[in-house]
Amino acid sequence: MYEKYRKKSPWILHYNAGSCNGCDIEILAALAPKYDLERFGVINTGNPKQSDIFLITGPVTLRSRERIVELYTQIPEPKVVVAVGSCSCTGGVFRDMYNVEDGVDRYIPVDVYIPGCAVSPELIIDGVVKGLDILEQKTKEMEKPFKLFQEATTKDGITSRRETPLRVGEDNEKN
Amino acid sequence: MIEMLLILFAPLIGGLLYGFERIVRARMQNRQGPPLLQPFYDMYKLIDKQAFIVNPYHSILGIMHFVTLWIVVAFIILGQNLLYVIFLHLLSTIFIILAGFSVKSIYSHIGANRELLAMLAYEPILIMMAVGFFMLNGSFDISIIREKEASLFPLFLLFLAYLTVIPIKLKKSPFDATEAHQEIVGGVEIEFSGVFFEFLYMAKWLEYIFVYLLLFLFAGNNILLATALFLIVFLLLNLIDNATARIKMNHLIKIVLGVGITLGMCNLLGLSYV
Ligand code: SF4
Repeated sequence: MYEKYRKKSPWILHYNAGSCNGCDIEILAALAPKYDLERFGVINTGNPKQSDIFLITGPVTLRSRERIVELYTQIPEPKVVVAVGSCSCTGGVFRDMYNVEDGVDRYIPVDVYIPGCAVSPELIIDGVVKGLDILEQKTKEMEKPFKLFQEATTKDGITSRRETPLRVGEDNEKN
Repeated sequence: MIEMLLILFAPLIGGLLYGFERIVRARMQNRQGPPLLQPFYDMYKLIDKQAFIVNPYHSILGIMHFVTLWIVVAFIILGQNLLYVIFLHLLSTIFIILAGFSVKSIYSHIGANRELLAMLAYEPILIMMAVGFFMLNGSFDISIIREKEASLFPLFLLFLAYLTVIPIKLKKSPFDATEAHQEIVGGVEIEFSGVFFEFLYMAKWLEYIFVYLLLFLFAGNNILLATALFLIVFLLLNLIDNATARIKMNHLIKIVLGVGITLGMCNLLGLSYV
């Protein structure tokens, strides 16, 4: 009976990781009377311990990356991370600059990407509503019992009890 | 019987009132606003969330705050002594202040400090209100006050003073510096999460019930007047909340103490000479 109420109350934490403020203004526009995100029950709490959806704008600057991880760990499960704007998806216009880390997903897992240099409020609303579905899914998954390790299987000559066998000494394409 | 039911469902009634108020405020800003049952959706969600416990006393003091407030509401509904009610309410506020000081967060400390200062400002007015009712009815018992005639006109100045207390208790601008969501992120409630924040959230609903039940005392046995008072104060409160900005803590104390004590004293002096 309670299940269908779960996604009706997303509380938002909004963090500016060095954005140009364009996207922040659009987020505030989405919360303001014209678009009225509050009709979905959204509250802009500003407090990580009470929020469900983490909206991040801006390319992650060197100064802000520790704060992002810290804020992310302070949000209780279940949580959804939404990257708002081209900057936080890929780095956008700031990509490859000396003080910028090219996107949020290098530090924390991102669930929804909303592209656009200054995203439109309509897109933000769509993204948050999409995030709600993911939130519901995550809530359900939290209840399921799961095993960390499975039956031992042999794949590519490696015997392992993990889903993706750990390979030692493999080339990492990022290096 | 009906009293027992009222006491049992007091948090739910408060929740409905809070949901309704959010709609009214949204309509005043020309928005659609959340659904009426939004506070209860929030409640279900908070129960599902993981809860961080900063330290055990902090969480327990939050729950105590809720429980004492519920007892306060029960005492008013049962018609107990008005002075007891006011002092028990003071106790519930002290619990939340202690909770605020029991964690390390600086915002929590600022919030608790402001809560203390606000208490200094509104507590004398509540006590003067009780004294006013005593001088008029010869008893502090709420059940006796409720049976007498409406005391709105003899206590009109005290009623005005009480109007300044309501926004402080319900955290409404211009007197919401204790919570100040944009500056100190909710003050004392910052470190609560999950199901423990739920208790604070429900305590907020009970605060609504408490404030409006005290308001009904001015109407005495006149139910029509009580309804009218409730509607007028409810709309006025939300209108002022939407139309004004937050004022600083020291201004809050000066305004509430200055206006409230002057009005209350005038009223009490008037009562003793008439
Ligand atoms: S995506 Fe564009 S508007 Fe948004 S923060 Fe980046 S540069 Fe600014």
